[in-house]
Amino acid sequence: MRGNIFERVLLSGILGMLMSLPVLAEEDDLEKAKRLTERDCQQCHTFKKGEQHGQGPNLFGLIGRPAASAPGFVYSPGIREALQGKVWTRELLDQWLTDTIAVAPKAQMVYFQDDPKVRARLIRYLESLKD
Amino acid sequence: MSTMDKASDASNEAVLSRRQFLKGAGASAAAATFGTVTLSTSEAQAAAFDADVDIVVCGGGGAGLPTACFSAWLGNKVMVLEKAATLGGTSFKAAYWYWVPNNAAMQKAGIPDDKQHYLRYVARLSQPQSFDLNHPRYGLSEWEYAMCEAIYDSAWVGTELLAEKGALPYRHVAPVPDYFAEMETIGATGRVLFPKDGAASMSDGGQVATRTLSAALRKAGVPIKINHRVEKIILNDKREVIGVEAKNDDGIYRVKARKAVMFCTGGFTHDVELRKNFLSIPAYGGCAAMTNEGDFIRMTSTLGVQLRNMNYAWMCPISFEKAIAKDPSLIGCFSVAGDSMIFVDKNGKRVVNEKLHYNELAQKFFEWDGANAQFPYLILTSIWDQRAQDHSASHEYGRLIVPPGIDNKHVIQGETLEELTANIDKRLAKYASYTGGLKLSKDFASNLKASIARFNTFAAAGKDEDFHRGERGVDLLFNGIVKDEPGRKNATMWPISDKGPYYAAFVTGGTLDTKGGPKTNPEGQVLDVADKPIAGLYGVGNCVASASGRAYWAGGSTLGPIIGFAYRAANQANKEPVRS
Repeated sequence: MRGNIFERVLLSGILGMLMSLPVLAEEDDLEKAKRLTERDCQQCHTFKKGEQHGQGPNLFGLIGRPAASAPGFVYSPGIREALQGKVWTRELLDQWLTDTIAVAPKAQMVYFQDDPKVRARLIRYLESLKD
Repeated sequence: MSTMDKASDASNEAVLSRRQFLKGAGASAAAATFGTVTLSTSEAQAAAFDADVDIVVCGGGGAGLPTACFSAWLGNKVMVLEKAATLGGTSFKAAYWYWVPNNAAMQKAGIPDDKQHYLRYVARLSQPQSFDLNHPRYGLSEWEYAMCEAIYDSAWVGTELLAEKGALPYRHVAPVPDYFAEMETIGATGRVLFPKDGAASMSDGGQVATRTLSAALRKAGVPIKINHRVEKIILNDKREVIGVEAKNDDGIYRVKARKAVMFCTGGFTHDVELRKNFLSIPAYGGCAAMTNEGDFIRMTSTLGVQLRNMNYAWMCPISFEKAIAKDPSLIGCFSVAGDSMIFVDKNGKRVVNEKLHYNELAQKFFEWDGANAQFPYLILTSIWDQRAQDHSASHEYGRLIVPPGIDNKHVIQGETLEELTANIDKRLAKYASYTGGLKLSKDFASNLKASIARFNTFAAAGKDEDFHRGERGVDLLFNGIVKDEPGRKNATMWPISDKGPYYAAFVTGGTLDTKGGPKTNPEGQVLDVADKPIAGLYGVGNCVASASGRAYWAGGSTLGPIIGFAYRAANQANKEPVRS
């Protein structure tokens, strides 16, 4: 049920709705989103501000950042070709997480998540990684 | 990835009550329990399944992706269940060379690769103590021989089909020799293939192959469920396999498999209990996917299967510290970097040819010293100078000498050899409880100086009188980048500088993955204790027994044979009757 609320929020882009949710529920969800996202992505990515890149770039401040631009990370030609000039928005991230190969056919990152609830959870957490 | 506590007697609790199953109570939430569930016909019909397919493939790595492709292309409705959050398993981090005897490129180029020559080569390496040219199977058992024949017959066919369909286009790396090419008259070179779009250095094939294979599965409409950990095999009352029960983040997920369940779940590198009790060597870990915890062995423990080759593994040297830290980015040292570099033991002495190819080098760490009741070489220290640091650094092939910007927590430094020794001592002390209190001897520093002096005379002459470094072609194959030194006689050695700074790192032997498990026939069917196939149950890759014994025949002799067995298993599973 909570998943549906987040899905609607993201689709309508009205972040303000989150403010009306009980604070406890919001923390629970963010904690769970953090735990599951880090579990899934930590093999390659890091999340804290200023943390060293792994096999993939550090993701702090991802939303709103130009794609393929994290300083000090060497992006594969496949990712640069497909993503240069774009900005990471929730929409692009949702497209990306659905099927990275469909967005960047020669990307090194191979990931596809058909479940919109899971993508919403990933995006929810990644959005929270900002100052 | 996610580590769930396992009850140490998990296999005792393996058989779940049928009533619990039907109520959807599932296994206990606290401990992961692996096993089987048997349902009567009415229970099977009443049971709630979340999906209904012809073939379930458990595992989306080096074995699972090809197995699923072949199965789907035969017209089956297939689903892949992957325990981790990403695909590729161990193969994603691998170079992904694949060894395909008598491959189509060799055939087209007229490079001969006769079947009997191939069988003699694999027999000689797999069971050297019973090798016999006059024996009808060269000393191999009937099962071993049949499995090796299957590789020769089918690896090239499966490989061609994967390439034709665009699932795994390849390029032929004809000059790459087998690891014991000197024992062969033909077939010694030419058997290695590599994903077509991979780098010239051939280190990144796993990423390319995972991408192309999973894209092919998506194109074929095969659902791939990540974060789905298969825990139970479901049987009907005729002891036929009819599905699996998995756990995902939402709870239980059951899939009905009308024709077959094909396990491709990898070995048991990361299960301490299985490792300790089955492997012939006390490995600390390895570079297999973190999710390779021997799940299939636990699940089949109630089925009356025959475990085979549990004592051996595909091996390579690994960074000791990364293994203890359970670093998921750990890659085995397939190439030992540096020419002005040596390995020394706790006494500061060289003990092995550092450039011996990885599976064989890994054996040295586990030699036993009976007089002192110890593994004297369990952890060796690689020592190199600034020159090697400057010219041999690489982020590829698991090399210990890495360029700036790459994680170098495993590297110890010292301005002088004395300072280096002190720093090695300090670092080693942190691991006392993991190493049985291993310490450097008090003569380490002086012995190290003497070892370096001795090595330097060998390096200058181009001949390693102690360990024959650089004398075999395969030493040179994995030598890595070294500084260009015109006129040098042996590319694997150069004198170590008498000036610092110096560098060091701890090395031990690890498992790329284990290669023992339930015995299958050459069609990939898992056999019971009477050698009869358990209906509907298949296994491909490191989750089932390899017929290679201790041998690592050549680069890619993991993945090439897997493609052959995936092809055969998919074709056999396709012939299964539809069950309910």
